[in-house]
Amino acid sequence: MLEGATLAVGDGQFVSLVGPSGSGKSSLLRAVIGLQQPLKGTVEREVAPSDVAILFQDDALLPWKTARDNVALGLILNGVPRGEALAQADLWLERLGLAGFGHRFPRHLSGGQRKRVALAQVLAREPKLLLMDEPFASLDAIVRARIVQDVAALVDRERISVLLVTHDLEEAISLSDHIYLLSQGPRARVTRDYPTPLPRPRDPVRARMHAAFAPLYEKIWNDLSREVDRRP
Amino acid sequence: MSPRHAWARQLAALAVFVAIWETAGRAGLLNPLYAPRPSQIGAALVDLFGSGRIWTHLEATFTAALVGLALGIVAGIVLGVLGALIPLVAELLEPVMTLLNAIPRVILAPLFVIWLGIGIASKVALAFILVAVLIFFTVFTGIRQVDRRLVERIVTLGGGRWALVRHVYLPSVAAWVLGNLKVAVGFAFTGACVGEFVAASRGLGYLLSFAQSTFNSALMMAIVLLIMVVVLVIFALAGRLEKYLLRWN
Repeated sequence: MLEGATLAVGDGQFVSLVGPSGSGKSSLLRAVIGLQQPLKGTVEREVAPSDVAILFQDDALLPWKTARDNVALGLILNGVPRGEALAQADLWLERLGLAGFGHRFPRHLSGGQRKRVALAQVLAREPKLLLMDEPFASLDAIVRARIVQDVAALVDRERISVLLVTHDLEEAISLSDHIYLLSQGPRARVTRDYPTPLPRPRDPVRARMHAAFAPLYEKIWNDLSREVDRRP
Repeated sequence: MSPRHAWARQLAALAVFVAIWETAGRAGLLNPLYAPRPSQIGAALVDLFGSGRIWTHLEATFTAALVGLALGIVAGIVLGVLGALIPLVAELLEPVMTLLNAIPRVILAPLFVIWLGIGIASKVALAFILVAVLIFFTVFTGIRQVDRRLVERIVTLGGGRWALVRHVYLPSVAAWVLGNLKVAVGFAFTGACVGEFVAASRGLGYLLSFAQSTFNSALMMAIVLLIMVVVLVIFALAGRLEKYLLRWN
């Protein structure tokens, strides 16, 4: 359970939240998008609820709809006419490297392709704030690196603010402007935060080779290890 | 042995079996009262179609089975949805349905004959009750197991109640019903035939009971064969429909 978390995501900022399992990272995201109520405290959004999108770990596409219908659905539910929504869907599938895959059902796509469809679905709504809950954890290393590169590029281009929850420190550092560390639960709180000294826009794969990467990794790793060791 | 040619070997085995049966019958080794020769069964079939008297029976059975199937599916879906959404309905319905599910429902056939007469209504009722209970449980348990992640996905994309029903619940229900369509078709024909067997003036079940009472085993076997073919054809059609509508799966 999460007890004290004060954090802010600035306009166009990429912010990551790391911490031990059970510290309430996912609950925090769910509270921001309104899937669950915080027991105490408030969530302040300067953007409308329809401008917030969330990407979960599982892709949760509707299995009975094709890729393009799945992407279009996010728009149709927000009042976009069907024809226009489908045109937008094709555009976003193409941006995510899935041109020609629109007619396929989720079952006939690979894990990486499904993740890209899910991304197209949330990005097509042109959110101002994108929440991501361990979005790439289920993918293998190369597929994952390529998707992370594409996400970084698209988020930069569309100037989307991001709050990413992850277990993966490398991913957090290579993508973020700012990283918050949650302490061990129960009664977890935000204990530390780290600005990342890497310039943006950046390629998250190349960012790992930046001189500032390793020292920051070591610092956060040590702090995180200490939190995990405090397990009661 | 290639599994691709399994059907050829199966067909060959059947031909050998039929040939032995025919030969044994002609040699006088089988009592024709119990085991008529395949050629006699064939002749009975040819006679049924040749004289044209089979059509009225086929029509009666198909009508009873298909009407019962349609009504059973609709009632099963409606009750299943109501039960899943309204706790009071679930409370009252579940014990009744569980009881109906536990008993062999065909034992209700004599009751339906008393209530509804020997006409088509009692056959429809039996097919209906067989199908409705099956579909009720399919839908009732299905709705409770709708994937929460899909529900959250629609909600976070900005969808309301109606969007959930239209994009998650309805397609899920359709998928479960279609997944059980073959079983339901089998049940519907079971209901129609058993109903006719108990008391009727038309239908394949009636013809079977007539053949039995006159100790006409060639006719009996011909009708059993015919019912098998009919149900296999319907199964194939239902399978096609299922494959097309569930092509995403």
